[in-house]
Amino acid sequence: MAELTIIGIGNRLRGDDALGPVLIDKLREVDWPEVELVDIGSDAIGLLEHLEDRHKVWIVDVCQMGRTPGSIVKFDPEDADMVLDQDPLSLHGLGLAETIRMARSLQMVPEEFKIIGVEPDSIQFNTQLSQAVQQAMETIVKEISLELQHAAGKPQILL
Amino acid sequence: MSRDLNINVHHLTRVEGHGNIVVNMKEGVLETAHLSIVEPPRFFEAMMKGRSFHEAAIITSRICGICSLGHQLTSLVATEDALGLEISEQTVLLRKLLIHGATLQSNVLHAYFLAAPDFLNAGSVFPLIATHKDVVLRALRMKRLANDIGDIVSGRAVHPITPVPGGFTRIPEKAELLEIKRRLLEEALPDGVETIETMKSLAGAIPQFERETEYISLKHPEEYALYQGDIFSSDSGSVPVHNYLDVTNEFIVEHSTSKHTKYNRSSYFVGALARWNNNSSQMVDEAQAAAEAMGLKPNCHNPYMNTIAQVAEAVHCILDSVRIIDILIEKGLKNEKPNQTPTRYGRGVGSNEVPRGILFHDYTYDNKGNIVKANCIIPTGQNLANIDDDMKKLVPEIMNKSKEEITLDLEMLVRAYDPCISCSVHMLEVDFIE
Repeated sequence: MAELTIIGIGNRLRGDDALGPVLIDKLREVDWPEVELVDIGSDAIGLLEHLEDRHKVWIVDVCQMGRTPGSIVKFDPEDADMVLDQDPLSLHGLGLAETIRMARSLQMVPEEFKIIGVEPDSIQFNTQLSQAVQQAMETIVKEISLELQHAAGKPQILL
Repeated sequence: MSRDLNINVHHLTRVEGHGNIVVNMKEGVLETAHLSIVEPPRFFEAMMKGRSFHEAAIITSRICGICSLGHQLTSLVATEDALGLEISEQTVLLRKLLIHGATLQSNVLHAYFLAAPDFLNAGSVFPLIATHKDVVLRALRMKRLANDIGDIVSGRAVHPITPVPGGFTRIPEKAELLEIKRRLLEEALPDGVETIETMKSLAGAIPQFERETEYISLKHPEEYALYQGDIFSSDSGSVPVHNYLDVTNEFIVEHSTSKHTKYNRSSYFVGALARWNNNSSQMVDEAQAAAEAMGLKPNCHNPYMNTIAQVAEAVHCILDSVRIIDILIEKGLKNEKPNQTPTRYGRGVGSNEVPRGILFHDYTYDNKGNIVKANCIIPTGQNLANIDDDMKKLVPEIMNKSKEEITLDLEMLVRAYDPCISCSVHMLEVDFIE
């Protein structure tokens, strides 16, 4: 199994919500041998299929954190109070917060489990990231690349 | 008994796309009973205009994280119809296998994670993880296999990449299909049998409510229709897919930004129960026997039984997938290239049964192969008028119950239809513990 799994979540047709999937596309442009890249789209429950037998999982998603658009926060789900969705009428009710709660109850959470959250600017129907989130995405790609090079102990192409 | 009753289940809406139940009764007279919901694909036409026929299915598959495969395949059928692209028998079989995987996955998730907690009065799936961990793991195991069918046949389970207009860009290997077959028989089938037992044990908790309505689904001359067929109404029989607008008759209602639909009556039902009522004799025998064991009979008029019809379909999809794999292997997998040479340009309509019911995509292409007009009618939109009619009959029948019980019965009713509105954004909301 790969050293690190990076999972992007989001709907590519909803403005900044596309951050996760677009970031995965960007990372796929370079061959990272020890990294598993996963785009699970907007169905958060798909996360459960990518947690078991992994040591290190990072999730990339836009999050409503009350900060300025484009703010990046890397956090452990344990340290944050994630609001559970109150809509029980559809599968829509199982969002990321609910899925993580389920993963915890099923003891599926890997040793290192982080969310890289970015505050969105707009999530209207649109196939473009806002400028703030586009910049945040580039910053995250750079940081992930540096970290991966460091972990591999050898130089790689810098994105 | 006369009473006043006011129910307004207003779900926290950080963004649009959630449903609200509104019921208002004064002195025993029901004044209002409806579900209001936002229909996200209203942006559909704007998103599709100007796109080439290569792009259409990719975009539509991204409308919804849960229904991506259904949108993609229906989009492909509409494009092939518009451009006169013939497809091979192998392509049809692989698409049917994909639809079976998607139906299995969606039906199992709905039955276990949304309906079962209702039947067990658990509030949500979370308490069940502690008390019924094996059942939750079984559901996830079935979901994973269904997902793997998607991965192997379509390249990627969430946003399929290999199905394109005219065929597939990659054909699965024989060994991959044999492995799926082995897991269907050795894992999914025993899990399916256990699922029937679980649902049998919950049957007593399914509300007894009957309302005959019009049931609309596809119908196929040779098989239980999921991939293509004619439109079929339980009231008036078959209609060609090209005439779908005669069936859907969309209209605007004040209480919902989503359009409603009606055909022979004030509303109609789409989804597993409609498919069951129209086509149950075409299910594999084992699935028909499973339905009977769970108390589901032909011509069932209890909408809460939609969940049971979904479980019977899950069994059908497991066994029929094995049959399809056998045919593919017997005929020998051919490394065909997709047929992408248009023979005409114009209008095309595609329709498939996706987990929540009959789906329509309708495109008109110009002679450069770009979309000039597009329409999409989703199953959840078609069920809204029927849900309202159910509520109007149900509320007076249960008005002696407490407000909380009535609210739960109404929520369960809406959930029984398995509405999907995931095309709206689902954003994580976080507060940091300082």
